[in-house]
Amino acid sequence: MRSISLFSRSVVRTLILFLSLNLIGLSVTFAQSAAEGAALFKQKCTSCHALNQKVVGPALKGVHERREEAWLLKWIKNSQAMIAAGDPEAVKIYNEYNQSAMTAFPELSDDNIKSILAYIKEEGDKPAAAAAGAGAAGGEAKTEEVSNLMISGIILLIIISFLVILVLNRVITTLDKLFKKKQGIEEEEEAKVAKPSFNEQVKAFTKNKKKVFFVVLILLGVLSVVAWMGMWNTGVHQGYQPVQPIKFSHQLHAGTNQISCQYCHGGAFKSKNASIPSLNVCMNCHNYVQAREKYNGEISPEIAKIYQALDYNPDTKVYGENPKPVEWIRIHNLPDLAYFNHAQHVQVAGIQCQKCHGPIQNMEEVYQYAPLTMKWCINCHKETEVNHKGNAYYDKLIAAHEQLKKGGKVTAAVLGGLECGKCHY
Amino acid sequence: MKGNMLAMNKLRVFNMAFLALAASIVIASCGSKSSPGWEYARNMYDPIAYNPDQPNKNFKDGKTAQLPPANTTPVGGFDKLEESYPNTLEGYEAAGKNMSNPLPVTTETLEQGKSLYLNMCSQCHGLNGAGDGAIVKMQKFPPPPSYATGTSSRGGAMKDLTDGKIFHTITYGVNLMGPHRYQLTPNERWKIVMYVHELQKLQ
Repeated sequence: MRSISLFSRSVVRTLILFLSLNLIGLSVTFAQSAAEGAALFKQKCTSCHALNQKVVGPALKGVHERREEAWLLKWIKNSQAMIAAGDPEAVKIYNEYNQSAMTAFPELSDDNIKSILAYIKEEGDKPAAAAAGAGAAGGEAKTEEVSNLMISGIILLIIISFLVILVLNRVITTLDKLFKKKQGIEEEEEAKVAKPSFNEQVKAFTKNKKKVFFVVLILLGVLSVVAWMGMWNTGVHQGYQPVQPIKFSHQLHAGTNQISCQYCHGGAFKSKNASIPSLNVCMNCHNYVQAREKYNGEISPEIAKIYQALDYNPDTKVYGENPKPVEWIRIHNLPDLAYFNHAQHVQVAGIQCQKCHGPIQNMEEVYQYAPLTMKWCINCHKETEVNHKGNAYYDKLIAAHEQLKKGGKVTAAVLGGLECGKCHY
Repeated sequence: MKGNMLAMNKLRVFNMAFLALAASIVIASCGSKSSPGWEYARNMYDPIAYNPDQPNKNFKDGKTAQLPPANTTPVGGFDKLEESYPNTLEGYEAAGKNMSNPLPVTTETLEQGKSLYLNMCSQCHGLNGAGDGAIVKMQKFPPPPSYATGTSSRGGAMKDLTDGKIFHTITYGVNLMGPHRYQLTPNERWKIVMYVHELQKLQ
């Protein structure tokens, strides 16, 4: 009996040990595979898929619940073969996504794909992180509200203190009057002497020619200064900062994200106009970037304006028939009598955008940095040295000078007089 | 008497302060940032013809900047890619087989290609084409495959991509990359292709 119980005990013990070891091992392998899956997911999948958002392909959160594992294994390895074989589910999703084929991944083993699925499951089960993110975003909004509240509070305090001063003044004057009443008639006499009527005061003032002359002189001086400054600033839009239809931040795009100016304003490098980017340039990134994490899972309202203008449906990824232009407000506006060419300044002279447009990478909202007056242009043209090296125009000019020095003739044609634009511009 | 004077002075000070406040409010509202300020002869700013960014009642969609009408010839010839090599896997493969860079590889064109690459591509693809651009590093955008070590989603290693395949991809985009034919002329694209070939060699 004893031996039997001993034996059974040891069996139970080993069993328990084995099971627990197995469990530990399982969880370890699960964690490992999820980590491996994360690496694979980033390497193979993110160019078309995201977890919570439809990108090129569908959102993958909960995909292990929607489909059988065996189906997924087959699909990921070669989706086109499944479609060709007429698998109804495969054909359905292929048509749903405008018949864009998913890349085949024959190089992935079953274990690889299982680890990717484990990663998707693990990430999908993490609603807490998203909620925390949303909470943080809410906190930010609160601090902004608080600062607004503080400003209005300060303004209220100032108004109240003004009112207090007013009331106190009233109290002082009434007390004063009471005090005077106690003293009797004296005060009334004084008041009669001290307070001539307004008309009398004006008459007395006009009789004093020195005083009149002095006041007129001061008035003239102030007026002429105001008029002078007003005239100089007429038509100078420096500091102009209109509210744009979309709250586009150059500080975020050019500053934080370090996107080159040329990416969006390609015209500045090759044409007269710097050009406002058309919305298809926005869509190169905002096809994917929707800033949902900052808006509790909703598309950012400013990015939604792009979609609205393009009549684009971010859920079906289809462009509609009724796009409407975004009416940006022009800030830098030279009078039509002045010719300015961006390419000449940016490409030929190699001037940085910031030289005229200011610290654009720090501007949340763009304002006009330079005065854009003729004096401002001329001052820069007086100082800037011309880099003539590697510029065929100056090579020709120098050659013409050499010819002149040698006593040769220089015709208008040598100086570019045969170019179309000299006459037909 | 003295008290009276004091009260009068106080009243005056108060009045002056009030006036100053009112004046500053008026001045501040005049110099508003949302208005360009005083203008004289506005008609000298506006051209007789329309500016490209001006609204225009003459067109249905209200824009001055219109797309060129069908069958117009652009200056510098056609970008015939659309007809010969459509945006499909077959078009991509065909472009890879049949297209080759028409520009000569010189230091000058390579330099231009580099400058174009840095301005137009490096935000995502990274300075050395490793798929680690500024936006990718901030985890705002998923990383594209490295030119030197990655594998293409349309099969094959990235370092084996031919002229035509790269040109096709820049033109039409692929997966999350948008089409760049509206921002880059064919010549500019070929210069970038040239520089990408250099980046493919990095290991």
